[in-house]
Amino acid sequence: MDKIQAFQTNSLSEGILAFARFARSHGMNIGIQETQEALRAASAGLLTNRALFKNALKALFCTSPEEGRQFEKLFILFWDTNPLDLEERKNEMKLEGSISKKTNSSLVMLGVGNTEPSDEEASNVSGANSEERLKKIDLSLLNVMEADELEEIAKKLCRQMAVRMRRRMKQHRRQGQINMRRTIRKSIASGGEPVDLFHRLNTPKKQRLIVLLDVSGSMDKYSFFLLRFICALREHFRQLEAFVFSTSLKRITNALDKQNLGTVLKNISEHADNWSSGTRIGECLEQFSDSYGKRMLNGSPVVLILSDGLDTGDANLLGTELQKIHRRAKKVIWLNPLKGSKGYAPLAKGMKAALPSVDDFRSAHNLESLLELENILSNA
Amino acid sequence: MENLQNPEQLIRFLDEHQYVADEEMVTSLYLLLKLNKPLLLEGPPGVGKTEAALVLSQWLDTKLIRLQCYEGLDLSTSVYEWNYQKQLLGIRLQEGSDLSVAEKEKQIFSDEYLLKRPLLSAITETDKPPVLLIDELDRSDEEFEAFLLELLSAFQITIPELGTIKAVHKPYVILTSNRTRELSDALKRRCLYHWIDYPDVAKEMKIVKKRLPGIEQHLLEQVVGHVHQFRQRKLVKVPGVSETIDWAESLMALGLRDVNKEAIDKTLGSILKSTEDIAMVKADLIAY
Repeated sequence: MDKIQAFQTNSLSEGILAFARFARSHGMNIGIQETQEALRAASAGLLTNRALFKNALKALFCTSPEEGRQFEKLFILFWDTNPLDLEERKNEMKLEGSISKKTNSSLVMLGVGNTEPSDEEASNVSGANSEERLKKIDLSLLNVMEADELEEIAKKLCRQMAVRMRRRMKQHRRQGQINMRRTIRKSIASGGEPVDLFHRLNTPKKQRLIVLLDVSGSMDKYSFFLLRFICALREHFRQLEAFVFSTSLKRITNALDKQNLGTVLKNISEHADNWSSGTRIGECLEQFSDSYGKRMLNGSPVVLILSDGLDTGDANLLGTELQKIHRRAKKVIWLNPLKGSKGYAPLAKGMKAALPSVDDFRSAHNLESLLELENILSNA
Repeated sequence: MENLQNPEQLIRFLDEHQYVADEEMVTSLYLLLKLNKPLLLEGPPGVGKTEAALVLSQWLDTKLIRLQCYEGLDLSTSVYEWNYQKQLLGIRLQEGSDLSVAEKEKQIFSDEYLLKRPLLSAITETDKPPVLLIDELDRSDEEFEAFLLELLSAFQITIPELGTIKAVHKPYVILTSNRTRELSDALKRRCLYHWIDYPDVAKEMKIVKKRLPGIEQHLLEQVVGHVHQFRQRKLVKVPGVSETIDWAESLMALGLRDVNKEAIDKTLGSILKSTEDIAMVKADLIAY
């Protein structure tokens, strides 16, 4: 019933109704209201030409350019699936009635024009499952195809995360209570009449976040996704400061301002001559404290370190430097992609030295573990 | 408005008013007028979303009421606010009068002391239905979006002290968004939707020609051609149609008749709005 096409309907309004059903069965979100409006539009003089009518329905039914493209396909499929031999078949249909009608419709549904949307549907269904799977897969084990797919998912989820976090912060944003003391004090100037009202601010200052990302060779497989993740965080934390480090430290906050992740990556890799080389975490942290510490560790920010802790430098230096940072930060969170693998223990000497100054030691090997961070950060 | 029978009339009018619109766009505008449903225009910056509302208000010969959205926009700046200082003054003035308390209160919370912000004034407009432009909705918060839901479906606003105010004339609402974030489905379902993309070469030439009738064909072709090349690149800020017009205008103002190296060097700032982009294009020019 759902998949009737234009040539099977008797009147135009029936055709429009059937088209709405047809589009709905192909995954477009069309309700009774939209259908009603389509009929109203039809009666408002939009039926005079085909392109006009199509545009009208498009404006009514679609809510994004992607849906618009799908609509174009569906429209042609629905209204134009009118085989030339329909005239010939008419006689047969009269004789054999509903039976031939049925075969006719199934013939059409099996036709070439129709395979495309059904393909799409199929991929959508499997998409839901593979999405779950991909979220759990270790980032280093991805193949190229999956990496693209995961990137799409990550993009979506990271955006959702940014929106959610913003929403949570919003509730604090309202104007605070009236500040009585200040209002009365200031009213003296106008003879005791409280002309200007002063409000107490109840907005907590937005938490500042400092992210240090390890881009050394051992982190190679993870660093791209982690960088994407940092971009998502950036949307929420306007005061985010980001650095990449391996043998030396590089500030990338300004590069992150770009809208396009591709350009961000390109910019960063151009500047970082040490991308995918060895790691000297301790020295990098020292460099951080020396050049940025005074400015950035004010007001106890949250410090987020993304690294596998495989240090080729001096482990003691790492320990003392991190301790220094820890003293001034509200919280130090260390995300280690290796922690997700079975049987991992923080035995690397760098990691061992760092742990005493780390408040939260977590894994970051798949998308799911990254998204968990949302809760920690929004509480921070 | 009553004598609007088909979209062709609208096309003709838009054409006269220097707005080049394709059929799809015009159909959306036509539906907006006929079904009285809000129209959501999405697209990259500078393709004429805001301009559409302007032209529509000219066509209907009504007021254009504009609300520019931004992060943190709240009800007191978008709907209404009590004029607190004036109310204070009002209380003082009433002190000598022998009105009852209830009457005094009623007077203090009357229209006179109400500061109407764009949304409320769009609803209370008495002459004709105005055009209400809610610009760059994607910049506002979700909270405000939720509030709009009620307004856009029922066209009424509730003020606790006054009661519910219903629209005298339903305004024609145009919402625009740059799609920096996804708007909620609930809002989208209440609107007609149209995506405006960058125009193709022919259409863009038509637009520039409309705005700058004095431009030479040769220059026009070059300008639009270059802009289309720019759009192919990965720029930080992709130039919109309004930038194309600016550029053509500045080239004409400088009396340049050819888009050559020197001309680009002088005027690049009016088409590309970021130092990185300008540096990149200039570097390519030298190499070229």
